[in-house]
Amino acid sequence: MKQYDAIIIGGGHNGLVTAAYLARAGKSVLVLERRPRVGGAAVTEEIFPGFKFSMFSYVVSLLRPEIIRDLDLPRHGLHILPLESTVTPMENGNYLAAWADHDESRRELYRHSPRDAEAYDEYGHLMHFMARAVKPILSMVPPDPTSFAPGDLAGLLKLGRHFRGLGGERLHALVKLMTMSSADFLDEWFETDVLKATKSASGIIGTFLGPRSPGTAYVLLHHYMGELDGVFRAWGFAKGGTGAVSEAIASAARSFGAEIRCNAGVSKVMVKNGRALGVALENGDELRASTVVSSLDPRRTFLQLLERGDLPDDLIGDIHRFKFRGSSGKVNLALSGLPKFACMPDGGPGGRLHRGAVSISPSLDYVERAYDDAKYGEFSRRPYMDIVFPSMIDPGMAPPGKHVMSIFVQYAPYTQNGGWTDARREEFGDAVVNTVEQFAPGFKSLILHRQVITPLDIERITGLSEGNIFAGELALHQLFFLRPAPGWAKFTTPVRGFYQAGSGTHPGGGIMGASGRLAAMTILKNGT
Amino acid sequence: MKYDAIVIGAGANGLVTAHYLARAGKRVCVVEQRDVPDTSADIGWIPDVVIRDLGLSGAGLRIAEPDPWITAPLPAGGTLELSRDLRRSTEAIRRISPKDAEQWPEFCGRMHTLAGVLQRLYLAPAPDIEATDARELSRIAGLGLYVRRLGKQTVIDLARILPMSIAELLDDWFENDTLKGLLGALGIWHLKQGPRAGGTAFNFLHHHVGSRLGVFRPARSNMTQALSTISGVEMRRGAHATVLAKNGRATGVMLDQDGETIAAPLVISSAPPRATLEPVALELDPEFARAVRNIKARAVVARGSLSVGSPPPYSTLCIAPSLDYLEHAYDDAKYGHDSAAPYVEVQRTDGRVELHVQYVPPGQHEKLAATVAQVLQVQPSQVQLQPAEESLYHGELTLDQILFMRPVPGWSRYRMPIEGLYLCGSGTHPGGGLPGAAGRNAARAIL
Repeated sequence: MKQYDAIIIGGGHNGLVTAAYLARAGKSVLVLERRPRVGGAAVTEEIFPGFKFSMFSYVVSLLRPEIIRDLDLPRHGLHILPLESTVTPMENGNYLAAWADHDESRRELYRHSPRDAEAYDEYGHLMHFMARAVKPILSMVPPDPTSFAPGDLAGLLKLGRHFRGLGGERLHALVKLMTMSSADFLDEWFETDVLKATKSASGIIGTFLGPRSPGTAYVLLHHYMGELDGVFRAWGFAKGGTGAVSEAIASAARSFGAEIRCNAGVSKVMVKNGRALGVALENGDELRASTVVSSLDPRRTFLQLLERGDLPDDLIGDIHRFKFRGSSGKVNLALSGLPKFACMPDGGPGGRLHRGAVSISPSLDYVERAYDDAKYGEFSRRPYMDIVFPSMIDPGMAPPGKHVMSIFVQYAPYTQNGGWTDARREEFGDAVVNTVEQFAPGFKSLILHRQVITPLDIERITGLSEGNIFAGELALHQLFFLRPAPGWAKFTTPVRGFYQAGSGTHPGGGIMGASGRLAAMTILKNGT
Repeated sequence: MKYDAIVIGAGANGLVTAHYLARAGKRVCVVEQRDVPDTSADIGWIPDVVIRDLGLSGAGLRIAEPDPWITAPLPAGGTLELSRDLRRSTEAIRRISPKDAEQWPEFCGRMHTLAGVLQRLYLAPAPDIEATDARELSRIAGLGLYVRRLGKQTVIDLARILPMSIAELLDDWFENDTLKGLLGALGIWHLKQGPRAGGTAFNFLHHHVGSRLGVFRPARSNMTQALSTISGVEMRRGAHATVLAKNGRATGVMLDQDGETIAAPLVISSAPPRATLEPVALELDPEFARAVRNIKARAVVARGSLSVGSPPPYSTLCIAPSLDYLEHAYDDAKYGHDSAAPYVEVQRTDGRVELHVQYVPPGQHEKLAATVAQVLQVQPSQVQLQPAEESLYHGELTLDQILFMRPVPGWSRYRMPIEGLYLCGSGTHPGGGLPGAAGRNAARAIL
């Protein structure tokens, strides 16, 4: 029987990144993916004939530039197209736009509030600086503050120095960003409600929190981190959809010699005397490897792939407490034409409205009320939505003259009063299209096909527990050395030779790949 | 008469600062807006060292330690009464949930340890994370070492629990709604946040500081009254004072009624930071002035009293039947309305029956008395409430407004950027619900 150096469970982008780095270091690597295609939640599928969709994750924001470089992803087909603008239609028929051109955005904001236009640059400078300050954390294995090991103490000291080096004012700003609600944080800077609503909406994505919930301010930084990388602006599309990102990483991994097997679900990790020996597949086959890596979420990694007896009780307790609470849904539409938004019927010069994002976040109260519904177990009757038209940027996604429309929707809680049923899913889809219709009259008549995805669907299809798009909520108490559990945030597990590499580990979230890369580094350091 | 120091406000913190200064030989004048001493109860733990230093026991200080410490109606009739005795409260919980009763002793222990860490932080100025001098750095290192000696679990709990929501924390431990409601209510005290908001677990622990193991309501006392009986400082009542400053120096205060000025080289205010600093805004750096304007101090509480014929059979009655009840109450406040079904707590101390009603944001309150009366099943005429215009803690106790961030980031050492001007009220570290703690820290900083 062939003995691999490493078997990676799960062919999502993090698993593939780990595989590529290990293979690049000369290891024999096998990736096992349960579905017929790689990508996990970063997949492109032709759901309706001629219409291709980034089925779940739809924008590329923080894919680490070092990964793009190290794996030479552009050579493997990665091509990122900028998504440059955001238009927020308001309920009074007005709109707020942020365009690619900074000065134009400033003039647009001036139209709403001269004071805010003044504050905008200063705010941008601060956020830019803060993003730079936080960025190194993303590429760092979290030290364990409860350990007295020299490596951990050195890590903590380094961290302390790093933050003190920021200086008082910026350190205070960082504390505020880590602890405040995005609404409160933005209140300190701006008065325009629709601006605060649109900015704070980025802080709630994937969380079970509202814009007025503490802990949402931090995500405002992500927007600026993307810009820093210089590779692309804050948000971009992958040509061919987000599946193309996965395919590019897979192609890079293969070029280094990794083997990727689809339709190969893993049922168990084989453990003997506290050491991983390999994996057992759902079809009964057994495969051996000296290192086994799970890129599944922490619940599946610890509670499904292992036996209870393999783990200490306190870790099992911690994983049980790790919060998933999926809160987002997705509606993918095939359209016969582009919808006309009442606030900008011609779509602006060159139809640029449709080349960017349309954010349905007309006011803070609107978004907050959407959260209120979710708190009590209902999907939002009038949800927050982030809408893009990928076929406008990448015409290959739809037949000529037709379009695809991707609607990210929040909130759709996984735990729904009465549970999710087929009827409930359609009601949810109706709430989404009816709300869009209010801002774009006549839009419904353009719909050719509709796919509605609830958190339960996300869980069923991708395996992400409770449909949480970040493989575990990105809440303050689930970050850094607490992700996924105290003492086990360094990609290792209590089972020797068994590692974790998914978004449920530090730093997690989005198509970033940082978890997968850090896991690979750790494995290479420890030796396979 | 020439004074060394003027203290604005004769609440617990103002008087504590004043008496510490007087004991150090300073001539102190306290200026207080109210004509007569406030007779309502002081709520919160009084540091033992303050009681000792100022001889409060001899001044008639009475601290109520009611047993049971809380009474909450049960949905099926009857009440849940939690006693100061851990075994008895465990038995009371066992009657509504055997599972929760199993958890109760360990929960109480873990929370008590964490509150102990806060208590240590509260008895001194907030750690200065920007410090470069060896003394402060060794103090911070000492704190770190102290926490780590408490064990791995405590380090993890501190990191995990402080930023959590009280709802998540309680859901981790308990299943019974009545129990979670009465505990969760403490997590939202004086906050414009619901129990699902991050940081409410910290607020819960803050209000557990100084309490006995397994008691989750702060002590009630007559501290302000006791302080008023101690001699050594001069009192000017019925006068609202405004700080005077010139060329970056505090020069004294002006009494608003008649424009009289009292000169002194030291002015110490226990009034809210914003109200204290706004009149001298021109003397302030614009960034600092902006930080002061940005202090979140949103009013959410109405305090008041309940007129009753005979004293009620309980000492503290909590109407917060579930976490969802509290969350719904918050939802109304979010959009600027009084809670349709508010969290109400009835507190009997020294024969008075006082009320804490939340959420009551600033605005119209026509229906408030009737709503509260309905919740308590009494006549509206029995309910007297004073809705606050601003946070009674002079700044909400959210994670971005505590320790070295309180009252404004980087200015947690009581000294303000105007020479001779200090703050000593609950707007400063360690904040509200701890009468005298800020006052003592401030006095020590001044001396």
